[in-house]
Amino acid sequence: MRFLIISCFYFLLISCSLKTTKTLVEKEPDKKEVINEYFANPDIDYVYKAKLQIYNNNYGGILIIKKIEPNHYRVVFTTEFGNKIFDLDLDADNLHVKYIVEQLNKKKLIKTLHSDFQLLVRQNNLIEKEFISKTDFIYKSKIINKDSYYFYLKSNNKLNKIISSSKTNEKLTIEFNDIDDKIAKKISMVHHNFNMKIDLTFINN
Amino acid sequence: MRFKVYFTGLIWLFFTFNMVSQQNVLSKQESDTLREKVIEKSKNTSTIRSDFVQYKHLDFLSNDIKSSGNLVFKAPDMIKWEYQDPFNYIVIFKDKKLHINDSGTTSKIDLSSSKTFESLNGLIIKSVTGDMFDDDKFEITYFHNEANYIVKFRPLDKALRSFINEFVLHFDMNPLDVIELKMIESSEDYTLISFLNQKFNESISNEVFNN
Repeated sequence: MRFLIISCFYFLLISCSLKTTKTLVEKEPDKKEVINEYFANPDIDYVYKAKLQIYNNNYGGILIIKKIEPNHYRVVFTTEFGNKIFDLDLDADNLHVKYIVEQLNKKKLIKTLHSDFQLLVRQNNLIEKEFISKTDFIYKSKIINKDSYYFYLKSNNKLNKIISSSKTNEKLTIEFNDIDDKIAKKISMVHHNFNMKIDLTFINN
Repeated sequence: MRFKVYFTGLIWLFFTFNMVSQQNVLSKQESDTLREKVIEKSKNTSTIRSDFVQYKHLDFLSNDIKSSGNLVFKAPDMIKWEYQDPFNYIVIFKDKKLHINDSGTTSKIDLSSSKTFESLNGLIIKSVTGDMFDDDKFEITYFHNEANYIVKFRPLDKALRSFINEFVLHFDMNPLDVIELKMIESSEDYTLISFLNQKFNESISNEVFNN
């Protein structure tokens, strides 16, 4: 009977634990901050061809990201013709919606866009924990009160993935591919708990 | 140092004054004549082929975002915009629908579901021939500089104005081709499209407008 209770408790613990770090061993972090350099240069206009899938609607266009000053970014999405779909001002943890088309002007969606882009662009993030893995350096941080896991490939020490999660479930995965110097030329952002996906391809402007 | 600041300020003032002074208001008679001629030319235009260069200006960017391609227009209301650089993207306006080919992925948008979008896209079609002269929809003002006529169309509809605060068309003085379209947002950010190598009234098959 005791064995059964312990087994059940162990099973419950395993099934409730986060997939991201389930098999990993925790260690003392060897540094204080993780750095995301992909949107860090204020002299660069980061311009991407973008495909957004929000619920069952597809939006194609251009996504423009610009660092205005430390911890302050503008994120603008336009159609290919140049008509703005949204224009967000991310200043530290605060969001100022400068413009959004009526169809997307929904509180929940705006909140999601805020947390997604904040996670995508934020440069310096305090490390809470580090995990041991064969292929990656993995650091846990917190962005707008959400657990965020930063994966740096050991082979080149480049940030290749960020996962945002609750205590038990992965919510959003951002993958950085085709990295040239400090620019990620391909980026995908996929939500796991609802139908939202963003694919970005860097445009040389 | 102070001299340098004053000198830069003076140069800036000179250029600003020069730019403003370049645009002179047309008289009522001149604007009526221009309007009649553009409408007449538009009526006699059955097709247009043109290259274009587009600049997206956002006040916080270091450089405008440049893209380019070509367009084909066939009266009364079919138009194909093809972006070729720095990405491949085709949009065809036909039968009140937008047919999109985004680097091989095709889709269709029914414009009748949104009056504002339908209106906006209708205006983009009309802007190619220049015939946007509708006093019920716009407050229209007329100017000229040394080389061009400049006509500004300010939408009266608030919903449309939330997208575009003003359309500005530049016509060359002879033969009144639209050479530039500027769509200015209320934030003063804008999209500028220059039309190049225009060819009029060539034979163009309807198949060109299949996605």
